[in-house]
Amino acid sequence: MTQKQKDWVIKVQMVQLQSENPHLDDYYYQEYYQKLEKKQTDEELLGRKNKVEFLKLVTPYIQKAEAYESVVRIEGSLGQVAVSTCFSPRRAIDAVPHGTQEQDTGTASSQRLRVLYRIEKMFLQLLEIEESQKAGPPQPHLSKPHSNQVEQLFQALKTQEQNNLEEAADGFLQVLSVRKGKALVARLVPFLSQDQAVSLLLAIMHHLPLLVRRDVADQALHMLFKPLGKCISHLTFDELLQGLQGLLLLPPGSSERPVAVVLQNQFGISLLYALLSHGEQLISLDSSLEEPNSDHTAWTNTVVLIAWEIAQMPTACLAEPLNFPSNLLPLFCHHVDKQLIQQLEAKMELAWIY
Amino acid sequence: MNYMPGTASLIEDIDKKHLVLLRDGRTLIGFLRSIDQFANLVLHQTVERIHVGKKYGDIPRGIFVVRGENVVLLGEIDLEKENDTPLQQVSIEEILEEQRVEQQTKLEAEKLKVQALKDRGLSIPRADTLDEY
Repeated sequence: MTQKQKDWVIKVQMVQLQSENPHLDDYYYQEYYQKLEKKQTDEELLGRKNKVEFLKLVTPYIQKAEAYESVVRIEGSLGQVAVSTCFSPRRAIDAVPHGTQEQDTGTASSQRLRVLYRIEKMFLQLLEIEESQKAGPPQPHLSKPHSNQVEQLFQALKTQEQNNLEEAADGFLQVLSVRKGKALVARLVPFLSQDQAVSLLLAIMHHLPLLVRRDVADQALHMLFKPLGKCISHLTFDELLQGLQGLLLLPPGSSERPVAVVLQNQFGISLLYALLSHGEQLISLDSSLEEPNSDHTAWTNTVVLIAWEIAQMPTACLAEPLNFPSNLLPLFCHHVDKQLIQQLEAKMELAWIY
Repeated sequence: MNYMPGTASLIEDIDKKHLVLLRDGRTLIGFLRSIDQFANLVLHQTVERIHVGKKYGDIPRGIFVVRGENVVLLGEIDLEKENDTPLQQVSIEEILEEQRVEQQTKLEAEKLKVQALKDRGLSIPRADTLDEY
């Protein structure tokens, strides 16, 4: 082989190595080279002369062709033509959908497919957000596009474009019914503002029995506990009360009380305990208000009802909470009579020890 | 001179003697004269080496152009250590005869095995006749 031929082959091989995002495309080489550089600096620090200079691969700069469409569809023709360049070989025709697609609304499977598709798209957005956060500490001039991304993702999740509020909530619930959707929400909540997180939390609380029922297969709701727990600790009293009262209403056409359903699920009972604990904390901090106002009475009623539900539930059915707040028993002591307290103590201690 | 540090490249192997193992099981030994980006090879003064037990025989083949995807592996042959093997070189006729005998015994053993399995009501599915998928 002549030198020219060798250079040509090398050039072709180098061009294939060029990339916009080397950390993504050529992860192992980048890690390898970082390790080598680190070793080199360590040796320099030790005082040894670095006789071995590690060479880095330097790719020649060659203008990359702009993005091209790999499958060309000529108007009025029946088929498609595959176009290839040296960077991208022929694309399998018919793997690229062209022309009319089936409009298949309403069937359960296509509904599910659409939800899954939505989740995938939102997950990609979430990954971008996490990447940009990992890339560096938040700088003021960078945080704007970042918060835009978070906002976009939040809107996509809440399906705010829907005019009907019911449909919007429904879309969110469908996402939460899928394991990956729960993971998505769990990872997104830390990025949200308190208002956004609270709206999600309230939606979850409102439909908690439904979510619990739909989670029987996946058993994945616990993923949401930690991020939502953080959100709970910043709730205002009104928001807290609103959330809890939603749970006490008996939904039409159902004989099972929502609190009963919630208490039997680990995530549900943990969330409930966390909310009660936070409420107790707020009340005790706010004890400057001596005269009982309507909020306090509502709170007392809520607590009494929940305590009654716990006492009613057979101990075997009570789920074990992920976290047992220490101020729960004192909370119940404030509002509930002695007999009930003893019952509660027995139940909650027992359930906890299990 | 290392053109591409940190990567594997065949450029440094040019004009050196290599042993190439192909996907069809053949072993070729020759001087690597030319390559390209697909690792297609041009081998010069190539010899096909057949191994049977401790014996081997070389069939001279001339120039080979091998499509890259058919290569399993290739390695440089150290010319000094090349002849330092416990293997015995024999003539082409002999090695071809040995190979034929080996194939035959293998075939018969296989036939016996299949028959024994058949008697017990079992069968080993072959990859080309697998119709489950």
